[in-house]
Amino acid sequence: MSERVSNCPGCGAPIKFLWSSAIQTTCEFCKSILVRTDVDLEKVGQVADLPPDASPIQIGTEGVHRNRPFTVIGRIVYEYQQGYWNEWHLIFNDGTSGWLSDAQLDYAVSYLWQPPSPLPPASNCNRQASFQWNGATYQVTVITTAHYVGVQGELPFKYWDKSDCLFVDLRTTDARFATIDYTETPPILFVGEAIDFADLHLKNLRQFDGWTQ
Amino acid sequence: MTSGPAGKVAKSVSLSCPSCGAPIDLRGYFHTVNVACAHCGAILDARTPTLTILQKFEKQTSIQPAIPLGSRGKLNGIDFEVIGYQLRQIVSDGVAYQWSEYLLFNPFQGYRYLTEYRGHWNFGRTLNALPAMQMGLRRTASVGAQVYRHFQTANAQTVYVLGEFPWQVRVGDEVSAADYVAAPFLLSSETTADEVVWSTAVYTDGRALWQAFQLPGSPPPVSGVYENQPSPYKGKVGSVWKTYFLLLIALIVAAIVLPTMINRNQKVFDRDYVFNGHPNGDSSFVTQPFELDGRTSSVEIKTITNLDNDWAYFHYALINQDTGHAFDFGREVSKFSDEGSKEDRVIVPSVASGKYYLRIEPEMDTNSPTLRFGRSLRYEVIVTRDPPVYWFFLVAFFLLLIPPIYVTIQAMKFEGARWAESDYGSGGSA
Amino acid sequence: MSSHPLFTLYGVLLLGAASIADYSGWSLSRINEVKNVPKSVRDNPGVYRSVYGMSPHYSGGK
Repeated sequence: MSERVSNCPGCGAPIKFLWSSAIQTTCEFCKSILVRTDVDLEKVGQVADLPPDASPIQIGTEGVHRNRPFTVIGRIVYEYQQGYWNEWHLIFNDGTSGWLSDAQLDYAVSYLWQPPSPLPPASNCNRQASFQWNGATYQVTVITTAHYVGVQGELPFKYWDKSDCLFVDLRTTDARFATIDYTETPPILFVGEAIDFADLHLKNLRQFDGWTQ
Repeated sequence: MTSGPAGKVAKSVSLSCPSCGAPIDLRGYFHTVNVACAHCGAILDARTPTLTILQKFEKQTSIQPAIPLGSRGKLNGIDFEVIGYQLRQIVSDGVAYQWSEYLLFNPFQGYRYLTEYRGHWNFGRTLNALPAMQMGLRRTASVGAQVYRHFQTANAQTVYVLGEFPWQVRVGDEVSAADYVAAPFLLSSETTADEVVWSTAVYTDGRALWQAFQLPGSPPPVSGVYENQPSPYKGKVGSVWKTYFLLLIALIVAAIVLPTMINRNQKVFDRDYVFNGHPNGDSSFVTQPFELDGRTSSVEIKTITNLDNDWAYFHYALINQDTGHAFDFGREVSKFSDEGSKEDRVIVPSVASGKYYLRIEPEMDTNSPTLRFGRSLRYEVIVTRDPPVYWFFLVAFFLLLIPPIYVTIQAMKFEGARWAESDYGSGGSA
Repeated sequence: MSSHPLFTLYGVLLLGAASIADYSGWSLSRINEVKNVPKSVRDNPGVYRSVYGMSPHYSGGK
């Protein structure tokens, strides 16, 4: 993890990047959304107040996925009909990134992956669809219409589009997990596995009044 | 609430019910989507700051869950708090079968649930993986290596709601619920128009829960056999029959070996006789004496006749020449076309050693066909000292069968009671 | 075998009883033991009468 220090164009506070490939980050103090250009940081917006949330994970939480330690450095909050969920941006020791999906304390770790054949358009995705990737059959479990409502920390892309998009979740019989993200065209695929809280060995979590972790 | 430096504490949120004003605590924090007011039962939208009323009830039925909301207990080393309760039912043939469901919460580990039906408890959670379905003679589903057998599919209705849920709930909600069993485990699915949710659960003793949650009193009494209740006979049927076969082999070996070691089996007398009827009355006579040696043991007297479709009766007395001690008995020998035998064997027990003779008095029907036309009854008398006694080995063989047969029947009755409530049983719903 | 100690004990007892039955010669038949045969001056083999044992006079058959 290389660290570069710049100054926030909004308030001058020092901005540290934990991840060399970060494209955007947020300033803790003035809540500006900052994008990295070749030369400097550019303020492109203001972080909306994130909705109240009870995830035990926070920026700075550390954990392990399959013997690979990671740090949580960013977050995207999505809103859908039932409420909210978080996608935590993870950085591993070798500089690669991954995502920890956190929906009502149901966790899944996934990584950006190039499917062997193009993904179907959003209109073609239905609950009966299934795909063969890496020798496993992924079946569609949930199709969610959602929009992003907020960001935090370092993320590998920039987007500000708050319109509704489709998210398709898939699972296998051996607890593998995948998500097709239709916020971009062509849609992007993340593949990984559903995982138990205990198997992530998380440290530096939020605390809850009356609960010991 | 954005997160700031590590270690920020999140407090649970206190609000009040817009329908009746009672205080509402959100034990599930901001995960909670719907909360039912404990006081008036109204179901409220927890995501709106004013707690919009979603469902209201005229009459408030007061149902007290056996484990009160807010109870905390440690299960599998993790602390959980009861934050929600539902009463649900399946209606089959006009009869409503109701069970309780408790939603458990831990802000780190997530959600679990407890179900209770007639004292039978299950502890479960939603599944991370998809089950693999197998259609065939037996509908089964497997999760990893564990195979579950289809037990029941029915429509489950929500009758009563208390507390908080991270999803939408309404009284009257209906889902298609399917259960697959592999005692003590249970695999269930709930299907609505939008999605299918799979869960697995394990059968749990109510007393263990009462201890974990430190509840007063006792859990509800257990009645009947539940779908994934582990059988108290599991493994016992196999092992009791294994023990049986080991004992049987011991019995057979003993029956073969012991008599050769224990019994003298010594023939001491063997003579042929003829009987022509008794025109003047007394047909009795005595034999030559013979020696009975060894310890006090039994004597076998075998009578072999040439009877055919006739009968004869032999009055016997085995008499000790020196002491006059006598063993008195009578033997009927009858052989007819459909039954009987022309031979007879009798064991005289506990005969002390010494010199003995037999007094024999044969008797036949005056119109006996054997004696007609001047023919005779021929018979042979064989006396054996200390013969092998096998009949009790045979009795032991049958008595030995009683325990394994009993255990097998009890195990079958248990499984019968289990499956009686399924879609495949006599008392099943659907 | 040790998972069913009572059954094993039961089996061993049955085995023991069968062995005793063999050793002592248990019988299923009804045998009358007559211990005190009256002695008389004319004591000789054949003086014994089955009436001493009160055996029933059989008149059976088909």
